[in-house]
Amino acid sequence: MMQPKSIDPISRHRPSAELVAILLVCALVIVAPVLLNNDYLLNKVARYLVLGMLAMSLSLSWGYAGILNLGQAMSFGLGSYAMAMTLKLKTVPVHTGPQGLPDFMVWNNVTQLPWFWWPFESQTFAIFAGMAIPAAVAAALGWFMFRGRITGVYVAIITLAAMVVLNLVIIDQQQYTGGFNGITDLAQLELFGIAFDAYGRSTYYLVAICMTGALLGAYAFTRTKAGLIIQAIRDHESRVRYFGYDVGAYQIAAFALSAAIAGLAGMLYTIVMEFASPTFLGVQLSLSVVVWCAVGGRQSLLGALLGAILVAGVQGALSESATFLETWTLVMGGLFVLIVLFLPKGLAGLVSSLWTLARQRSFRPFRSLHRIGQTEGGA
Amino acid sequence: MLADRAHREGFFVFEQGMEMKLTRRQLLRNTAAFGAFASTGFPHIWIKNADLASAAAGEIKVGVLFSLTGTTAIIEESLNKATLLAIEEINAAGGIKGMKIVPVVEDPASDPATFADKARKLVVGDKCVSVFGSYTSASRKAVLPVFERQNNLYWYPTLYEGRECSKNVIYTGAVPNQQQDEFIPWLINKFGKKFYLIGSNYIYPKEENNYCKKLLQKHGGEVVAEEYVPLGHSEFSSVINKFKSTQPNVIFSTVVGDSVVALHRQYHAAGLDPEKMPMASLTTSENEIAAMGGEAAAGHFTSAPYFMVFQSPENEKFVAAYKKRWGADKVTHFVSEACYFQIHLFKQAVEKLAVSDITPPNIRDAVKGQETLAPQGKVRIEPENLHTWLWPKIAQAQSDGQFKILVQAKNWLKPLPYAAYPGQVCSEKGLVVQN
Repeated sequence: MMQPKSIDPISRHRPSAELVAILLVCALVIVAPVLLNNDYLLNKVARYLVLGMLAMSLSLSWGYAGILNLGQAMSFGLGSYAMAMTLKLKTVPVHTGPQGLPDFMVWNNVTQLPWFWWPFESQTFAIFAGMAIPAAVAAALGWFMFRGRITGVYVAIITLAAMVVLNLVIIDQQQYTGGFNGITDLAQLELFGIAFDAYGRSTYYLVAICMTGALLGAYAFTRTKAGLIIQAIRDHESRVRYFGYDVGAYQIAAFALSAAIAGLAGMLYTIVMEFASPTFLGVQLSLSVVVWCAVGGRQSLLGALLGAILVAGVQGALSESATFLETWTLVMGGLFVLIVLFLPKGLAGLVSSLWTLARQRSFRPFRSLHRIGQTEGGA
Repeated sequence: MLADRAHREGFFVFEQGMEMKLTRRQLLRNTAAFGAFASTGFPHIWIKNADLASAAAGEIKVGVLFSLTGTTAIIEESLNKATLLAIEEINAAGGIKGMKIVPVVEDPASDPATFADKARKLVVGDKCVSVFGSYTSASRKAVLPVFERQNNLYWYPTLYEGRECSKNVIYTGAVPNQQQDEFIPWLINKFGKKFYLIGSNYIYPKEENNYCKKLLQKHGGEVVAEEYVPLGHSEFSSVINKFKSTQPNVIFSTVVGDSVVALHRQYHAAGLDPEKMPMASLTTSENEIAAMGGEAAAGHFTSAPYFMVFQSPENEKFVAAYKKRWGADKVTHFVSEACYFQIHLFKQAVEKLAVSDITPPNIRDAVKGQETLAPQGKVRIEPENLHTWLWPKIAQAQSDGQFKILVQAKNWLKPLPYAAYPGQVCSEKGLVVQN
């Protein structure tokens, strides 16, 4: 039976520390509305949390299972469209009256609701589909890749290509998907009698609870036997195969779980943004997720989540400050280069290193910094 | 071994192995990198500006939301510039009732989600009383829920497909009837009745073509082909072969963005003759011609309410001021002109209100029926549908990159956003459907 310490050098001293950190962050997220008495900021934070969830889902497949999915936004977009479709069917179209066709279908001279829209009349089905469809698509894609023992850069290329194909289909089939404009003008989600207004606390709590659940669930998964085997596959695939494990099955499972979490994040994104757009499964977003994971630390679920929140937050702040209005993309690029050069394991790696150092010797920051300053000056 | 590991982990391999023992120097380096990242921080998150009144301290805050980065940045930057120019002019002349207009400029990076995010920031965070922005329909659709839910006001300067009836948007660009009513019969008379419809594959070209086909039917024209190419498409050789085989009298083009440039260049390179088979466009402006070069554009036609060469005292003033402020090589075009005059309409609307009444709904009510002398002529906001009365013009592109205006409307034309759909009217109460 494998122990965590034999798999990842980091987790040797981290299991409890990471759990404590996760619980702290979850608690902070839940009490944030009390501290942030401003609906606009809450809405903004809710958006960042959704992006954090997306990054966390990639960390599960990239950091833990060693599967670099450059098309993570495909699952996100599928979830987003599932939610948008059901919310669109709940609106009362002006042109055709109640029970009528969505407006963009009328514009495109469609006369009947296409068959694949029918089940989305049911909100329960849509919520289920928002996770099940991405998971099924990922499982199918994974079946071809991992049964065929495709690894590494080819996985990255296949996942990216699959996403681009879906993106093009959605833009092209505008009579059924809303095309380039996406699906806009949505009704509010209602669950158990609660209406989720994008600007209200209810939506924030919905996002916060889903994020907390997903984070704890994913963390728990990484500590199960299956989770450990997945990490073992990441570290040495053939050795695990020689042990008699069905490597492909574990990879498919991790890949699909990651897609389901991304799909859930996509559904929440539609609720927070009040529309779905083909850019939600675009290359730009998908590669951003990879960057967020790299910044936060891909081998830590919490690190990836915080990385996304931090990068999205800094990006928002930079592009909103008058000083950086013209140069914010350049500044962001520079920061990424710095992170990759000096923090190869991301911010989670930094925290982990600090922890290691603190345990290696009694940590006396002022004295040590003073001494370092002298040596630096002398050199 | 190294390559093997890289192979397994994907090509983003940032490190090999974990350093168990950190030196202090490494730690310092790491901490410094983190510090650089964190200090650029979240300044705005901690600043609460909930108590800002709309016109506090002699300032009127407005949002300016055009992409300065990303795929549509080239055209949207010119819209940003025209907007800022008008604001600066009004402020230099004493502002509105002594209050300065303060523009809050945001960069939505050509991304619909960022558009929605920044719109929220401007409306809910900054409490702007109006936002001027958007070039693409996709970005307008993305911000629409924000303005409708918050009952704020969005000023949209671009020509578009119509079929929208929002109480929270002022549309100062042309709708299909204002670009096509004169254009189509004129083209049939001058060149013939066979039309080839070519457009980018999204809602705007489809709607323009829906209306075009109605006009063709009315005036005895016919469609020889209707074709849509993907957005950003740049390979038109098969399309040009179809031009040659179908021999239309007019190529009616609603291709947008970089595709406009590619289509014109390849048409020119294929040796087709604009005298016999001209392209008639609703989207080719001075801006696109600057990108493709005058040679490729020469001889083709555009219908729009404004051209840079239009002779009026207001336009001479606008062009001179624009070049002085942003550079002598810059061009003005039919969308940047709308950006410019809509600020003046905003000023007139706010002037009608008492300082304590400056709110988005009041501005909307005050702007109904407002008129101003724009560079293109006198324009007016139609109270019923918040679109704008404009002056259609037909012009031919010249090899110097400018247009020659051939036809000017004798009267301004009422905006009819639902012109293609009899029985549907946009009124002050919203869309009315008569069945």
